[in-house]
Amino acid sequence: MKQGEIRKALMVATLLCVFLFIYLYWQQSSKPLQPLVLTYKHVYTANKKSQPHQWTWHCVNQRCERHPITDNIKAVSLPTCSMLCGSTQLWPQPTGPVTLGSKAVTFNHLQFEFETLTSGAARALVKEAFSSFNDSVLSLVRNNNYLQEKTDLDKFIVRVSVVHGDIVKLKLKTDESYTLTLKQRAGDILVNITARTYFGARHGLETLSQLIWWDQYEGTIGTLKVIKGATVQDAPTFPYRGLMIDTARNFMSIESLKRVLVGMAANKLNVFHWHITDSQSFPLVLPSVPQLSKTGSYSPGETYSPEEVRAIVEFARVRGIRTILEMDVPAHVGNGWTWGPKEGLGDLAVCVNERPWSLYCGEPPCGQLNPENPNVYDVLEKIYRDLLELTEETEIFHIGGDEVNLECWAQHLQKSNTPSNYSDLHDLWGEFTLKALARLQRANGGEKIPQVIVWSSKLSKRPYITKYLDRNSVVVQSWGSSQWPETADLLSDDYKVLISHVDAWYLDCGFGRWRETGEAACDPYRPWQTVYNHRPWQQMRLDKRQIIGGEACLWSEQVEESSLDSRLWPRTAAFAERVWTDPQLDLATFSIHEDVYTRLSTQRDRLISKGLKAEAMWPTWCSQNPGMCL
Amino acid sequence: MRALTSSKAGCLDVILVLCVLAGFVSARWAWKCDGGGCERTSSLGDGLTVDEYPSLELCRLVCGSSGGVWPIPSVYSVLNKELLYLDVANITFNIKTNDDASKAFLTDVLSYFKDSVGPASLNCSETVTSLSINVEARSESLNLNWDTNETYTLNGQGSSITIVGETVFGVRHGLETLLQLIVKDGACFASISSYVISDKPFYKHRGLLLDTARNYLSVDMIKRNIVGMAMSKLNVLHWHMSDSQSFPFVSSRVLNMSRYGAYGDEKVYSPEQVLDLIRFAKIRGVRIIPEIDGPAHVGNGWQWGPEAGLGNLVVCQNKQPWRSYCIQPPCGQLNPANQNIYEVLKNIYNDIVDLWKNLEAFHMGGDEVYIPCWNSSSEILKYIGNNRTEERFLDLWAEFQAKALEVFDSVNGGSSASAIVWTSSLTAPGVVENSLPNDRYVIQTWVPNSDNLPEELLALGYRVIISTKDSWYLDHGFWGSTSYYTWRKVYDNKILTDDGVLGGEVCMWGELVDDNNVESRVWPRAAAAAERLWSNPSTTSVSAEKRFFVQNRRLADRGIRTSVVTPEYCVQNENDCDVKLALFIPSSRSRILV
Repeated sequence: MKQGEIRKALMVATLLCVFLFIYLYWQQSSKPLQPLVLTYKHVYTANKKSQPHQWTWHCVNQRCERHPITDNIKAVSLPTCSMLCGSTQLWPQPTGPVTLGSKAVTFNHLQFEFETLTSGAARALVKEAFSSFNDSVLSLVRNNNYLQEKTDLDKFIVRVSVVHGDIVKLKLKTDESYTLTLKQRAGDILVNITARTYFGARHGLETLSQLIWWDQYEGTIGTLKVIKGATVQDAPTFPYRGLMIDTARNFMSIESLKRVLVGMAANKLNVFHWHITDSQSFPLVLPSVPQLSKTGSYSPGETYSPEEVRAIVEFARVRGIRTILEMDVPAHVGNGWTWGPKEGLGDLAVCVNERPWSLYCGEPPCGQLNPENPNVYDVLEKIYRDLLELTEETEIFHIGGDEVNLECWAQHLQKSNTPSNYSDLHDLWGEFTLKALARLQRANGGEKIPQVIVWSSKLSKRPYITKYLDRNSVVVQSWGSSQWPETADLLSDDYKVLISHVDAWYLDCGFGRWRETGEAACDPYRPWQTVYNHRPWQQMRLDKRQIIGGEACLWSEQVEESSLDSRLWPRTAAFAERVWTDPQLDLATFSIHEDVYTRLSTQRDRLISKGLKAEAMWPTWCSQNPGMCL
Repeated sequence: MRALTSSKAGCLDVILVLCVLAGFVSARWAWKCDGGGCERTSSLGDGLTVDEYPSLELCRLVCGSSGGVWPIPSVYSVLNKELLYLDVANITFNIKTNDDASKAFLTDVLSYFKDSVGPASLNCSETVTSLSINVEARSESLNLNWDTNETYTLNGQGSSITIVGETVFGVRHGLETLLQLIVKDGACFASISSYVISDKPFYKHRGLLLDTARNYLSVDMIKRNIVGMAMSKLNVLHWHMSDSQSFPFVSSRVLNMSRYGAYGDEKVYSPEQVLDLIRFAKIRGVRIIPEIDGPAHVGNGWQWGPEAGLGNLVVCQNKQPWRSYCIQPPCGQLNPANQNIYEVLKNIYNDIVDLWKNLEAFHMGGDEVYIPCWNSSSEILKYIGNNRTEERFLDLWAEFQAKALEVFDSVNGGSSASAIVWTSSLTAPGVVENSLPNDRYVIQTWVPNSDNLPEELLALGYRVIISTKDSWYLDHGFWGSTSYYTWRKVYDNKILTDDGVLGGEVCMWGELVDDNNVESRVWPRAAAAAERLWSNPSTTSVSAEKRFFVQNRRLADRGIRTSVVTPEYCVQNENDCDVKLALFIPSSRSRILV
């Protein structure tokens, strides 16, 4: 029982840790500081369990310096020093003015009082947001007995006002801005978050949670602190700030996807692009076409039921994230599509699992929808109906559309002796796309989906693009190398673009080729600095207005849930600041400011508190000695 | 929706998911043993035919010439591949020995074995056989070192299993192999009826380096890695305990080391924890070789000298700009002009010796001394006089090395334990002969595969441990211009086979890993190195792939956060993802394009 065991082990480990902490703190009060001289006693027990805190940090020239604790000074913990030493410690850095106080006060989470002036449907969402804010503060607490500690506050009042209480669905035009003020009034902290929509208000709460930290040096067992005095005005640079996860190459549990969403919310990302099927497997259970998962999933346990998908969609929405389900067509299909002949529908897909695969597809196993079988379009319409119903997302739809292998179709047409009407099979592909889009519209009750995303491909190049893709409703997700002319061409043809350049924002790269043969197409690994420093609109002077945003992508050939967190974080956080704040690049040196390192290191700690296994950025020494490793 | 989802409601759902993850697949796919491979076939709820198995693991158990055993044994012969269902709740162990210490040790090993099989279920509907396992160690020695004979034979005849090892460690390896021959099949445990395995390692030293100084690793995390090592028959955990960044080892005699060197009061290794780890590892056939690196790679932990009246123990500590004084921040090197450093080292070594008791090999580090650091210290310049040539600095380093070994010997009962050092400018042929006697020093090479330094050192009579930098450095691929080494690259790294080659180590340097991601960096790649070091097959990763995938699942099933190396489709469909293989496998579906 793989999962059960990990969970059990983690739970035991957590319990042990908590126990150890309690023990350590209980021990320490009676222990004097160790003398600064060598002790030659051959006694192992002298210092075994509890050393008192070792380090204190002083803020010198806006930088926290680490020093050993000596008797006559009050030790300051690193989080407390960092929060009050020049840097905002916010991530992503707000785009508007920020002022922060230079002092902190202690409190505990029972002192929270949440109030909202929101009316309408958003009211319920605000309540959910309060509860997830509360969870996020609780995740910082490292000793549950801290409630016994005295605090500086009586009440910690959080007041959230949303102007448009009727807006509960995120759209590209949704106003996500917010303002936050935090003041002390007598014995209380009073926070006001005002926003035009729920989605802005939620971001405000996220920012508030970043003004709160755990100080393990305070009192006897540590306590929560909040900065005393703050004003923040903030709004995102791009409306589409996405993360794509592939659950078809390797399956990811619902639980692990929820962790992804928690991390996204903490970084104010707002689109979860779920690449839910591919030629390898079809884990999505669709009510109208259950055959797909029945014959396409890796095992009955490795599936997503409609209820589970809906739960993810709702979990995401509360966190300011919309979910886009991508069932990629006409390529990237295969397993799950082989039941056609049995049910009298003919071959729905061709070249499925064909070998040698390298002739028919980019990676094994092969498979492509059969564009000449009219039944395929009926099935597609049913699927689209289900997908729209599951996500209730009708502004944006992703149809996939990448990496069509024309050789596969050529072979198939030859084999079935279909008289070919196409001298150029790109036209077959183009017409497939038009038919699929027509079915999408029918599935949506005749309403046209305003933004249909397709992956960039041969079809999104001239001459095909203008023939088959409507620039008013199609957004091209540009995933080629940023050095290619692809993105600039699309923009000059007046298409809207979503950027996912492989050389910066493909998080799966760098682990070598996973097959015996073939190229390691996308090595090397993109360190967070590469992710962060990618600003194509500046580097290539692109028109930002046609760019709806960016999306980081994690393809799952070499990742499943055991390494999911560490592949994503903190690199996706670096990406998030790029699309939220979009700081200027220094094109001469590409150097990243020390403050970014410090803030990202703090943000990584926050993610770890939330239970995400974010990867190490550097030796801990560098976190403890800000600025000294650059 | 109805068929599939209604059965997945509520707690049934959870049970189903858990069962399926454990290989308890009752449904759609079955695996057919076809030639040497297991082919996925669909079986929509109907009964299975002969030669069809409900899980890949079960199919692998009976299919092919070496089943799913990893690393591959020297001799593996299946006499009867009929499945035998086992009652794992009722295993009788018979330990054949008169020696109390051996008996106690083997009892611990057997309880590790029992825990690893997993809990028995009452719901198995097959007729089960209770198991009787007879173990015998020919030698009473409990020492795990380069002379330990790890040979074993494993003989299964129905319900009776006999493991004979030359030592208790051989027996342990036999039990590890037996674990791989017991496969979960739904609520049951299955094995094969009759087999004979005889097995021994190719290399004596099969190691993994963990670095707990750049980032702290919890004791639990170190143990998880030891379990992975045991599962792959790796036998040395090279513990790079300290570095310039931190000193987490609590030296009882020099408490200041961790006081000034640990990242935090909880980020230390107490003597009890170290003892616990040594013991935990030994039961799993792993010896821990500690490394206290010096004279470079020191710094934090050593800064208290002036306050304690001992003068500067280190020079250029944390000095900026760091690029002028070291290869990686923070800087620091021991101050060989200050003789007090030997007193401090002696105390640290003494603590190490006390904890390890029988320390037969000790890693002294000795790499990457950065001359500009020493050259920047007026104290050192005064000590060496006016001759500031590179040779003079090398002499100073050699002097340090000799004195450090001398104090080590003085606390280690004057014994002649082997000292291991990394290759450096001090181990260059022409220098090494004069500074490091070849009867005392073992040299760990970390040069690329193309470099012939290992041959040169062998020719000079040194024993070597090989850590091929361009294959076995597991930290590569995430910094600078290094690239990541896939499990295939790790596996295909064939090292020298001279007698003087003790073995090899894969190295997990810790700059970019901590408890959050170290397991997924190490595993399953360390398992790939393990087969290279244990079996040293003449074949490559191509022929090991199927067994490797099974081993990777085993690691995951034991709770190790190992990485996947391929889409699950390729695990389930052994032959589908490879061009070369696919071209040679006749398939009704494949047509070659003209």
